[in-house]
Amino acid sequence: MTYYALLFVAGFAGSFHCIGMCGGFACALGADARGASATSLRHMLYNTGRLSSYCFLGALAGALGQVICTSLVAGSQRQAPLLSASLDVGQRALAVTAGLLMILMALRFFGVRGWHGVTSGFAGSTLVVSLRSLLGRHGFGAPLALGVLNGFLPCPLVYAMVAQAASTFSVLGGCLTMAAFGLGTFPAMLAMGGVGRLLAPGWRQRGVRLAGSFILVLGLVTLSRGVVPMMAGHGLHHIWHIT
Amino acid sequence: MTPAPAALCSHCLLPVGRRGFSRAVNGEGCLFCCYGCCIAHQVKSGSGDASEAAWFLIRLGTGSFLSMNIMLFSLLVYSGAFTGADRRVLPTIHLLLWALATPAVLILGEPFLRETWSQARRGRLTSSALIVLGSLAAYAYSTLAVFHGGGHLYFDTASMVLMLFTLGRYLEAAGRARASRDLAPLLAAEGELATVIEAGQERRRPVRELHAGMLIRVKPGERIPVDGLIVEGCSHTDDAVITGESRQISKSPGASVLAGSINLDGPLLIRNSGAGGDSRWAQICRSVREALRQSSRTQRIADRLVGAFVPLVLALAGITLGYWVHRLPLDEAMLTALSVLVVACPCAVGLAAPMAHSLGIGQLARHGCLVRSPGALEALAGIHLIAFDKTGTLTLGRPRLVDLVSDGVGDDEVLARLAGLERHSEHGLAQAIAFAASARGIDPIVAGEVRILPGRGLRGMVHGEAVAAGSAALMHELGWVVPPALRERAELMAASGHSVVFVGWSVDALAGRARAALSFDDTPLPEARATVEALARLGLRVVLLSGDHAGAAARVAAAVGSDDWQAGLLPEAKRAALDQYRARHGAVAMVGDGLNDGPGLAWADVGIAVGSATDLARETADLVLPADGLWLLPWVVARARAVRSTILANLAWAFGYNLVALTCAVLGLLQPILAAVVMAGSSLLVVLNSLRLERLPGPCRPTEPASCAPARPASEPGPTAQRRSRALALLKAQS
Repeated sequence: MTYYALLFVAGFAGSFHCIGMCGGFACALGADARGASATSLRHMLYNTGRLSSYCFLGALAGALGQVICTSLVAGSQRQAPLLSASLDVGQRALAVTAGLLMILMALRFFGVRGWHGVTSGFAGSTLVVSLRSLLGRHGFGAPLALGVLNGFLPCPLVYAMVAQAASTFSVLGGCLTMAAFGLGTFPAMLAMGGVGRLLAPGWRQRGVRLAGSFILVLGLVTLSRGVVPMMAGHGLHHIWHIT
Repeated sequence: MTPAPAALCSHCLLPVGRRGFSRAVNGEGCLFCCYGCCIAHQVKSGSGDASEAAWFLIRLGTGSFLSMNIMLFSLLVYSGAFTGADRRVLPTIHLLLWALATPAVLILGEPFLRETWSQARRGRLTSSALIVLGSLAAYAYSTLAVFHGGGHLYFDTASMVLMLFTLGRYLEAAGRARASRDLAPLLAAEGELATVIEAGQERRRPVRELHAGMLIRVKPGERIPVDGLIVEGCSHTDDAVITGESRQISKSPGASVLAGSINLDGPLLIRNSGAGGDSRWAQICRSVREALRQSSRTQRIADRLVGAFVPLVLALAGITLGYWVHRLPLDEAMLTALSVLVVACPCAVGLAAPMAHSLGIGQLARHGCLVRSPGALEALAGIHLIAFDKTGTLTLGRPRLVDLVSDGVGDDEVLARLAGLERHSEHGLAQAIAFAASARGIDPIVAGEVRILPGRGLRGMVHGEAVAAGSAALMHELGWVVPPALRERAELMAASGHSVVFVGWSVDALAGRARAALSFDDTPLPEARATVEALARLGLRVVLLSGDHAGAAARVAAAVGSDDWQAGLLPEAKRAALDQYRARHGAVAMVGDGLNDGPGLAWADVGIAVGSATDLARETADLVLPADGLWLLPWVVARARAVRSTILANLAWAFGYNLVALTCAVLGLLQPILAAVVMAGSSLLVVLNSLRLERLPGPCRPTEPASCAPARPASEPGPTAQRRSRALALLKAQS
């Protein structure tokens, strides 16, 4: 559970980053004229849409990992795959790739650019523009659709987490990874909808740094699983069991 | 409601074709060539408060939400998350999947179903039918499995196939719209509105309703809708659409403006000088639209293949099912047949040619080159020989009078009569004569009943006397005497490579006599040699076909470095010459300008008119280069070849991809969802391959190899002015 708790915290810290773009959507989604409960439902739908996109991406990435490493990780899927010691060559290669991707993403949070063209995607800007037309709509289809499509907007945080999900080598693991991360972004995003104004830039900056640190740590751990398989068996075991 | 097949899609500007349909977006009636363009257009125009676009996105979003959850649960089921103790929840999960899949299939499949239905009513089977059949079969089978127990569920297949095809169509349409970006300003003229000032009030009216003399206001940043003169206001304009040259031109009251150019920085009041539909811009728009509407030969073949493909694939799927059903459980056999249906969708084949074409046409248009027939680019890519007309094409086209020998009459009288006669001609020599006459202060005598005799000269009446000007052949044809002294001088002139024109008028009602011989000199264009060399480097033979004297033709041929030349050709002889070359070298192109070339341009496999070609030449030409645009020719040929190789590569990819994937599917090696991914991938591949054309370099002026900028100096330096002054000096010396 520690693993998922860590992801949840990473999501929570990362949501200070989300506030930039997604927070804008949450704010603009605003209040429903029919009262507080309708407003809550609206925002829940938006966030559910977002979460389902994340989970889908996570499951897909996990499935991909599973396909690449045809032999499943020894032991039950209920265990976080990070714990297992026996990793074959395919899994290690995937772990290294995912770890490197995550570290690259994390560096972006500390202001290291250069990957901008890759991460901002080619249809991103068009999608953002078109999504605005959904904001003013009534009914419950619009916030859901907004959330779903929002989940696919280019975001380094999501990419990093998808890389992490792929390195779980299982559908369920990938899905849960993204779910934990996505749920972590809920409090801030829901608060954004409720409070309706942006946090002070200083706080956001700190949150972004924190999220970056989490991703950097996760990336290093994932990388180390690929590079130093023995360490994954022993050293990391202790890290996850500190609490 | 079905639009005319000749209309163009609102989104990608390609012909709507038979699959087209109309839909209201933002309150405007729009035509779309396919479902993908409909999506992409709505996504693009969704920034306003457009309810249609938003509604569309909601459907897309909800559909994705449902199918993603289906996929998620299915993946979990497949990965064995519900085994052992958790087996009890499986029926519940199955019910949940059904509950999610039903709306998903309805929402995502509706556009495909609608297309299939509307085409089926007209007795046609399209690729949508394959998708609909495939996903509905998967859905129906799985529904039965849920309620009657047993078997695998394929809700994920049904919804993901629809989802992926929707995505594929969208990406395809987005790519196509990008390909036709350059074409948009060239197609805008017909729908353009102009702000007309009538009785002191401003009113928006369509351009085609405008008449000459109306006052039109153009705000900064707007496109000027009509040709006209500036009445009020100062501004800069950008004429790139018309001339292919992107540079700012300063305009003040009294200056003329061209329709299609952009008014950059000041409000202008313009008096319309012609009907709205007659401007060069409107003509360009009509011809580009026409070129886009017709499909090229390759595309027609591809379309026919696609038409035959769909029933074939249906049959193949049936056979596959029949074969596997004896060897595998029913659901797996069905899945294999489904893969066949999905993977054979020939979307990419239909996309192969039009996109590369519209990209090519658009890029040429950006540099002022107009493609008038869709096959022109492909034909140009296949030619082996280019025949050039001499005057005005390889030469400046502004010959100067260098010598005048008269026989018993004054030079002034000759020039006055000749200038009056030549006023009716567009031939390059006519301008030289007018220039020479005005330089000496001679008023042309008005001529009547002027008839142009192509390739020979012209004749008319001046003061009741028949006057003729042209070659020795014309004089002979008319039965007019050429005095020996004059003939001798003329032969000397011709031997030195000059064009010679005899002028004569009638002695009495029957017989006439040549009175003077004029010699003209025409210099090759400064870029002619570099252009011919560049064409030779492209592996083309270059020949010169001139109606002029052998001496002049030989001189120009040597100067530009052409392989071969023929002189003294009448228009019919040019056609015969083209036939000869065609027999020896394969497809030929003819580059020309002026009245003499019309038949030649029409007769060649590709007719190319350069610059301010006369209207007839432009009508028969497949390709029109801008004024002073000869240097673009090697680039145009290279571009045409790139377009053709892109089309061929696209077709090879699309068919190859389809065949390989189809084989895999028939053998049962391809999952349906993977098949859908593969198909979306093939469309994307064709789009990306076509967009590669965008990255090819633009034209580079051979005379200024250092800079590739399209802008060029406003006036020609040195040599022209020098020659002109020499001609004047000669004339003065003679008088």
